[in-house]
Amino acid sequence: MLRNFLIALVLASFGFIFLNLYNSYEPKTELTGIAAHYAENGASEVGAANLVTAVVVSYRSFDTLGEITILFLTAAIISFFLKLSNEDENKVIIHKGTSEILKTASQLLIPLIFLFGVYVFINGHLTPGGGFQGGAIIASGVVLAIMANPNMTINHTVIVWVESLSGVTVVIIGVLGIILGGGFLDSTLDGYGLGEFGTVFSAGTIPVIYSLVGLKVGAEISNILNKYQKSQKES
Amino acid sequence: METLELGKIGLLIGFLLVIVGFWGILQQKNIIKIIVSFTILNTGINLVMVALGYIKGRTAPIIDDSVEQLANHNVINAIVDPVPQALVLTAIVIGFGVTSLLLAYAMKLFRAKKTLEINQFNDLKW
Amino acid sequence: MVDPIFIVVAALGVGFLIGILGKLGKTFTGLLSLLTIAFMTYVSAGWLLAFYSGSQVAEVITTAGFQAPFSISLLMGYNEAFLTTIVNFMGLLGGIYLFFNFGRKGRNAYVVYIVFLMGLNVVIMSRDLFNLFVFLEITSIATAGLILIEDGNRTVGAGFKYMLATSVISSIFLLGIIFIYFFTGTLSLEDLYNNANLQNAGGAIAIFLVMVAAILEMKPFPANGWGLDVYEGSHQGFSALISTATATASFYMLYKILLIAGAAWNYPIALIGAFTFIGANLFAVKQKYARRMLSYSSIGQLGLLMMIMGLREYLGDNLNFIVVTVLLTNVLAKSGFFWLIGMVKALKLKEWAIIRRKPFMLFLMGVFIFALIGFPPFPSFFGKWEFIMSLAKVGGFSWIAVILIGSFFEAIYLFRWYGMAVKGEDIYDNLEFKTKLNKLIPVGIVTALLFIIGYFSAQYTEAGAMINFIPFIFVLVLFAVDKLPLMVKNIASIAALALHFYMIYPNLAGDNLRLIFEVIFMVGGILTLIAGFSYKGVRRGFYPVAILMYAGLTAIIEAHTTLGFFYGWELMTAGSYFLIIRGKKSMPHALSYMLFSIAGAYAILAGFSIAGIGYTDFNLDILNNIQYFPNWAYGLLLVGFLTKTASIGLHIWLPGAHGEAESDVSPMVSAILLKAGVFGVVLTLIGMTKSDFDLSTLAYILGWIGALTALVGNIGAVFQEDAKRLLAYSSIGQLGYIIFAFAIMTHLGWLTGFTYTINHFMYKAVLFLTIGAVVLRTGTHNMYEMGGLIKKMPFAFVAVLIGIIALSGVPPLSGFTGKWLFYNAVIEKGWYFQGTIVFFSGGLAFLYLFRLIHTIFLGQLKDNHRELKEISIWFLIPIYTLIAGLMVFSAKPQWVLQPLGEIIANYFPNGGLRWDGAFAYTQLGHWTGTGVMITIATVFVSILIILKMLTRKAHKLEQFDVVFSGERPERPETTHIAYNMYAGFYKAVWPLTLPYFEKFWEWATNIVHETAGFGRRVYSGNGQAYMLHIVLFIIVLFFITIGGSL
Repeated sequence: MLRNFLIALVLASFGFIFLNLYNSYEPKTELTGIAAHYAENGASEVGAANLVTAVVVSYRSFDTLGEITILFLTAAIISFFLKLSNEDENKVIIHKGTSEILKTASQLLIPLIFLFGVYVFINGHLTPGGGFQGGAIIASGVVLAIMANPNMTINHTVIVWVESLSGVTVVIIGVLGIILGGGFLDSTLDGYGLGEFGTVFSAGTIPVIYSLVGLKVGAEISNILNKYQKSQKES
Repeated sequence: METLELGKIGLLIGFLLVIVGFWGILQQKNIIKIIVSFTILNTGINLVMVALGYIKGRTAPIIDDSVEQLANHNVINAIVDPVPQALVLTAIVIGFGVTSLLLAYAMKLFRAKKTLEINQFNDLKW
Repeated sequence: MVDPIFIVVAALGVGFLIGILGKLGKTFTGLLSLLTIAFMTYVSAGWLLAFYSGSQVAEVITTAGFQAPFSISLLMGYNEAFLTTIVNFMGLLGGIYLFFNFGRKGRNAYVVYIVFLMGLNVVIMSRDLFNLFVFLEITSIATAGLILIEDGNRTVGAGFKYMLATSVISSIFLLGIIFIYFFTGTLSLEDLYNNANLQNAGGAIAIFLVMVAAILEMKPFPANGWGLDVYEGSHQGFSALISTATATASFYMLYKILLIAGAAWNYPIALIGAFTFIGANLFAVKQKYARRMLSYSSIGQLGLLMMIMGLREYLGDNLNFIVVTVLLTNVLAKSGFFWLIGMVKALKLKEWAIIRRKPFMLFLMGVFIFALIGFPPFPSFFGKWEFIMSLAKVGGFSWIAVILIGSFFEAIYLFRWYGMAVKGEDIYDNLEFKTKLNKLIPVGIVTALLFIIGYFSAQYTEAGAMINFIPFIFVLVLFAVDKLPLMVKNIASIAALALHFYMIYPNLAGDNLRLIFEVIFMVGGILTLIAGFSYKGVRRGFYPVAILMYAGLTAIIEAHTTLGFFYGWELMTAGSYFLIIRGKKSMPHALSYMLFSIAGAYAILAGFSIAGIGYTDFNLDILNNIQYFPNWAYGLLLVGFLTKTASIGLHIWLPGAHGEAESDVSPMVSAILLKAGVFGVVLTLIGMTKSDFDLSTLAYILGWIGALTALVGNIGAVFQEDAKRLLAYSSIGQLGYIIFAFAIMTHLGWLTGFTYTINHFMYKAVLFLTIGAVVLRTGTHNMYEMGGLIKKMPFAFVAVLIGIIALSGVPPLSGFTGKWLFYNAVIEKGWYFQGTIVFFSGGLAFLYLFRLIHTIFLGQLKDNHRELKEISIWFLIPIYTLIAGLMVFSAKPQWVLQPLGEIIANYFPNGGLRWDGAFAYTQLGHWTGTGVMITIATVFVSILIILKMLTRKAHKLEQFDVVFSGERPERPETTHIAYNMYAGFYKAVWPLTLPYFEKFWEWATNIVHETAGFGRRVYSGNGQAYMLHIVLFIIVLFFITIGGSL
């Protein structure tokens, strides 16, 4: 009873706080602060048509490194959290087969999904999308594959190699930024790699980084899915 | 009646989702429902973030033909704020990580006591 | 200097690579990880050294090739270098400690661990609000993962609660961040400080949201149940890191955000800190489990840090010193403690008795406890000192009270625990613990660092730099060589005391006041140590702690500053605690001794802090001219010192503590240690004589306290059956006389006081040594179980006889000197009523002193005592040396009283004794010690000769020539009246003997326990309830801070 009253009180109070925030909200009419700088100079400084990508992979690339780390961390934690005993690991569970429609469709769709995912992260600096989105699309392909064939096993080694190598490469490119450019994760490499604005091979290392991120995210999400799938074996 | 601007609508719905999320995490007893409430809460916050970056009558922060049409290549007058969108991207990924870890915890908890009632997990107290 | 960004590069690079390299094996992965953390430590420590040397300026590290605010920048300044060094170094030690635990979980555990540390580094260095959020999430997620390196339902439950709580907190944080961005258009911290765009209602709410999130990360009371569970539930190797490394980073994050929020938030932060500090430490009192208790303690420390942060503007130049010392002590001691728990694995407090199986571990535990409570020479001692002194100067007395009360609660539970470890019964054969080298090394390192940093902390202030640490180092050496035979250690200890006395004698030669006390401490120390030769074997742990006490005592005498005095005072307290707890049944008594001592020490500290107002240094002379609140300052100091002298109401610790102590410890703590309290009282009273204020009321109250103490102590002594407790109660009474005499505040009064002090030292040492030696022979403290020992132990009998003559104030011995002076002083002062009470108490003394002779040495020899021998020669040597001293003092009192008169004349020039040869004159009459001695001796010898002649033909009566009338006495009370000897008298005075004070303190204890027991139920263990606490905390704080102004 007291609990319910307190919860109601809390929600009402949050409502009050939000109402005050809402009242102080004046819709923006023009860009201010750092956003104005990005809009004006983003194209020339970073060379990416997609300014969100410019912010994510260049200006605030350190955050993005953190993001990659979080996914990586989650995958790592889940892998030792849901680690199976050797006995369970070797257990074989035969799942019921799924419908023919799903199987057939997946064979058609999965390559397309992967291709689309690759497209999304390679063009992340030009069009809406990017590494995270592309990676998530690839992982959705993996989900489809698992659903179509519950007994399949994902090749763990491949995932680990993709995950590790892409992560290390991102860090190395970041360090290249220190050596060649103006600081850690400098995507422009001091302006040498900007290329022609609006094309795939432009915007410095952004497409490279985003591709690596896409691979890494795809691998990591697949890895997490893999662990979830495997943990069904736990007795 | 004055029509609500898109930014304000986004803000209001976002806040509403946040409150719904808080209601869920405080009221629901089932751990999975609590986790779902967290994602509702996060979605609300993400919506608030995007709404705050909205500027009426402008386009997405991607420099292409539409920008040219809108403001004659004057990017600063054509696009909405790209920063909140970038932040939302990060926030979503973080939310994903947290949710998957919470779910992993839920699995472990269920294995331990064969229940998902949050009241059952108070071994450590006082 | 290595670019700090390489901390991130190394951590992530290796972290990512381990995925592949992990195939090379666990050991390889583990070593690679440790190497990485070592590199991170190297980077941050390099910066720290550069800043320390003074040449370095803070450096901004930009990322992505753009300047802030357009990109994210990190800052490596002095603060950041210091804090990241802590994080990385503790991370390295923790990594060593957890090496094999990680190994069992597979390579990913190492990865998570490295990333965890990296995240903390960035949280400390980041200068971007959103980046702070991202890396805070990294550390939260990594923490949620690392909790799981220990299996078990409790752990998973704790981790889940942690995730729930941090998710709520980070949601609030994110909401605040986005609105701050909306109002300001920037995320760079530099741009956000004093940002005008936040000066509106929305800005205030946005700031509130980030602020409350940062506060919640510090686990404020009562929204911290999740924090407790994590500390308790996760592997203790990792709890050590959460309570140190994470706490350090959270602390700095709060600081960075506080700078955005502005000065208006200082007070709320300090208040929340105060609540947390008191609440957590109060609830810990009720804990039965070691892990959870320490969790409460950790949260209490966070509260203290928040208090310091909120009050930082009052701390001036001392701020950094205070933060560094408090933080480092907490980091080192708390991590060491958690690691210790991880090794010992005893859950319940009482199971900790098993730690005694490895004495070194017991030593470590002691170090951590004393460090946490803020004893010297550990850093927090000096930090808390500066903190309190600074607060007093700005009138922050209520904050001082909060710190002292919270610290006192902390002392209650930590010392109760330590008592169980040192003295509890080790009946847990089912429990065992191993000490692996990789776990012992980190604990050893933090212990060493505590001492080293403590030493350097002392050098910070002028007063601290004057402290002589050589005695303390000698104590540590004694700890190290504790396995040597007793003979060696005893000789070394005696030599050390003698050498020390010889060396400082020149410094004290002109200061007879201090010289008297130093002689009591050092010569008394040597004499009582001689008795130790009678023990056999190694006597582990005795010498370090005994010398610790003497080191403290001499430091008190040598101190020129209040800090130095307090340093000595605390050392002495610590040493005497260990001495007392050595007794067989001493566990509860040592605890009550310690708690009274600490409370008293805090009163002294508060007194010093008030005395220090208006002064920039800590010279001890400030006591002579206290400028503000003199009644409070002197009053608090007196209360503190009276705790040590066991004055009425504060005396209940003494009988047990002195009575149950070992035979040679009782004289140390009674005859010698109590004089430290007297010295303190004298110092305070000297200050009062010099003060310009009228403090006569205080002295008057003190007089009453002394008189009533004399009554209570002596009445208590009359009804004891336990010989040592009898002497202990008698000490209370005697100290009452001393306090009363000094309170008279005249020349004669003080002369009486000093005479009593010297006397009490000698006869109480004689009596306790003798009775202690007798107890060693008979194996019992109960007097009615002894009897007729006069023939077995004639030397002991003579010693006790002389001791009680001196004590009771009968001519010809020095007790009479004191009494004669006393009555002169009382009559001169006109305190007749109080004087009568003291006189009545003196009468009571005859009653109990008679028992010592009658019951122990006369009457029937008990059957089981027929084979007893004289007490040990090692006891007789100091006893008879002291008796010789008593004789000299009695026969030639002028040798001592004349110099004493000269000292006292500095404060009370008039009304002294007028000496004419051996004759002393007052306005009331005259007296001569020598003459009395000769007269009594003549009378005594004459009577003896006459009796001898008269009784030449008398039949010699054997001791057993007693007729029982056919009855065979079974119980002692049937043979003679040894048992319950004063039953008749008891009927007359029983209301006075009721344990009023014991009842009062029991009641106070119960209140604390009940409150703690009730309050801690808020932590119901339900993760959802914890989230409710968090949001309620947010709401309440919102309406308290800014809600009203909207």
